[in-house]
Amino acid sequence: MLFNSLAFAVFFPLVGALYFVLPRHLQTWHLLIASCIFYMAFIPAYILILGLTITIDYIAGLYLEKATGRTRSWLLAVSVVATCLVLFVFKYFYFVIDNAIGVSSLLGLQLSRPTIEIILPIGLSFHTFQSLSYVIEVYYGRQKAERSFLTYSTYVMFFPQLVAGPIERPQNLLHQFAERHRFDYARVTSGLKRMAWGFFKKLVIADRLALYVSDVYAQPQDFNGLQLTIATIFFAYQIYCDFSGYSDIAIGSARVLGFKLMENFDRPYHSRSISEFWRRWHISLSTWFRDYLYIPMGGSRFGERRHFLSLLVTFGVSGLWHGANWTFVSWGLLNAAYLIIGSLTKELRDLAYASIGLGEKTLARRAIAWATTFVLTCIAWVLFRAETLSDAWYILTHLLVDWNVEQIATEQFLLRQMPVALLAIAMLEAVELVQKRVSISELLARLPIAPRWATYAGCVIMVVMFGVFRQTQFIYFQF
Amino acid sequence: MISGLGRIAAFAALVLVLAVLLHAVIDAGLRHIDTSSFGVWNRIYDGTIDADVVVSGSSRALTHYDPRIIANYTGLRAYNIGLNGSQTDMQVARLATYLRHNKAPLLLIHNLDAFSFQTTHGGVYDPGQYMPYLREPAIYDALLRSDPDAWRSKFVPLYGYAVQDLRFTWISGVASALGWKPAEDHFQGFKPRFASWTEDFARLKASNPNGVTFAIEPDGVTAMEALLRLCSAHGVKVILVYSPEYEEMQRLTLNRREIFGAFEKLGRDFGAAVWDYSNSPISAHKQYFYNSQHLNAEGAELFSRDIASRIVSDSFTGLLAEAAGRDRIGREMERIRTQ
Repeated sequence: MLFNSLAFAVFFPLVGALYFVLPRHLQTWHLLIASCIFYMAFIPAYILILGLTITIDYIAGLYLEKATGRTRSWLLAVSVVATCLVLFVFKYFYFVIDNAIGVSSLLGLQLSRPTIEIILPIGLSFHTFQSLSYVIEVYYGRQKAERSFLTYSTYVMFFPQLVAGPIERPQNLLHQFAERHRFDYARVTSGLKRMAWGFFKKLVIADRLALYVSDVYAQPQDFNGLQLTIATIFFAYQIYCDFSGYSDIAIGSARVLGFKLMENFDRPYHSRSISEFWRRWHISLSTWFRDYLYIPMGGSRFGERRHFLSLLVTFGVSGLWHGANWTFVSWGLLNAAYLIIGSLTKELRDLAYASIGLGEKTLARRAIAWATTFVLTCIAWVLFRAETLSDAWYILTHLLVDWNVEQIATEQFLLRQMPVALLAIAMLEAVELVQKRVSISELLARLPIAPRWATYAGCVIMVVMFGVFRQTQFIYFQF
Repeated sequence: MISGLGRIAAFAALVLVLAVLLHAVIDAGLRHIDTSSFGVWNRIYDGTIDADVVVSGSSRALTHYDPRIIANYTGLRAYNIGLNGSQTDMQVARLATYLRHNKAPLLLIHNLDAFSFQTTHGGVYDPGQYMPYLREPAIYDALLRSDPDAWRSKFVPLYGYAVQDLRFTWISGVASALGWKPAEDHFQGFKPRFASWTEDFARLKASNPNGVTFAIEPDGVTAMEALLRLCSAHGVKVILVYSPEYEEMQRLTLNRREIFGAFEKLGRDFGAAVWDYSNSPISAHKQYFYNSQHLNAEGAELFSRDIASRIVSDSFTGLLAEAAGRDRIGREMERIRTQ
């Protein structure tokens, strides 16, 4: 079920209202059933895959806690391999096969592609990573194994974050299912406001920009440099608003029900370096890779070479996590390259800035750092969004070529949509800048009820009237 | 908890009331526009056209026939109800709406396209234009046939404007309610395009180097038959006209002969004349087109003169006499009323 659907508009109030009137012992059952309904709205049969990974990791957790010595390591390996096998079959099978066919044809061998149709279950990478996180935490003894299958299933399947995160750690979320959540007006309305902000990002910004981006990236050769540049900048905002909008709705809807999910974004485009960007972007995944791959590989503890290798592997795998395509792998590796080059040139850059009198705190230097980070991020997004590496290369080499200001619109995105798109982006930036200093929500809460409700109602109507309601899937659902 | 839920419900009710009010304001605003494309819709809906010659069809009808020229040549009142981006099913709905609210014309010129035997798939073009007229049975039924969820636009406040429409038609409605009007770009329903040849056709050719085939759908044939039956029921004479199409495009259309065979059959079955302007000298000159299908204003003027003189000179003297007779009777009745 999509958050931006009429079905969810009916589903969520019903689930929410029923949740608060049910006795404590039925609340978790209620959430599990609601989560099953939510997930089965996509492809019902795929709930069996989810059930399989839940069962494997639940049992693994129980045995891991009891086992000692090498058995523990074996149990962890079996659990991780089994969970990853599901991911491999559904997500990477054809990627591996196609590449094997490509390599073998270079060697003069003729292999044929199997004709099994495999559809990627929605959000597979998210819930498998959440499951993996659980068994790894149990293995390291940082989390007790969950005895209740009901609680563990609900933890993995909790519908607000089931299909696109945040990828929760058991220490943060699991215990919350054992707590009693009563109706709290302030908390419920705070959750609803967070959801509304998420809908603004998704419907007003992301889905409108998507009209432009999908036109241009479908056939980049048909568009001039200006259109390619606009589409690339729009994509940067589209993916941010799409994904952080989803996270806002997830965090907001969980808050309505009394749960606290981790924050997933922290104004990433305000970053002044790529490493800062990665501390602010998709925080739950970045920290997952940091804790379970980068640090175990040695991180920055064993010299520069090992550090760079850790970065390349972590970002390469992160790219592959996003999709079974070399474009994603390239995107990951490019980000690793940014970090490596950034680390190698830090002293040189500091010297250069010092020679022209730009201290670290000066506005000009901060602006340069911000602009450079944004441009580098946009360049990387080209690899992420392009359908093929050759398309990506075409876009990157034509961004500054043949600008035609009279030809900006695309088939789906008429010029009259441009002011709305730009104003919405400006509004997003303004709100994020203000939020850095004061809480807008708290400011509004101080208003008398009439102007406050008028403002809230105006915001809802604005999202309705300026949103794009094409039930566009969230980009990260495909991962 | 009860009071908290009550407050949330009260807020939801407030939003709903605002949505209903805004929807009403948008509808009323759009219905008050008397210029541009909404001006044409509103004249059709208000029954203030009452033309003797009506031109219907798609964007080709809209941009090819200047009713002022037809009126000058024939002495008959003419009006163009061509509908941009429409397939035959929506053109029939617009004509049915016209006939419901206006006097039946003596003559309908229905402009044909290579895609005349196709109906709407995947949602109508520019759905916002239909929203204030969903109470019109022909329009609502046609929308419902092409999209079973069209009922939502009629019954869920703001759904049609917010969900179906990407063109911010609602802003025009609100602005009109505040006194704004769009600039007039339609003349008796005709919309001239002051444009020169674009690269559209080159792109089409490049993406279809082996030619193009236009499907003849059973539903499309039914829609064309419905149009002719509708005219027959209202006693309207029909000329099916294939207006000039850029000649290179004609060669690119692989099943052109089959399509024209179907047009001829329709003409025979329903007693409608079929006038084909494929070989018109206009078709050979890019300067009269802005793409392979559409004449520019210069081409439209030439073509309108051509067809108007043919209406006069062809077998329509009886029609003209009938119109003149009707005018005489009308004048006589007016004289009696004023005495």
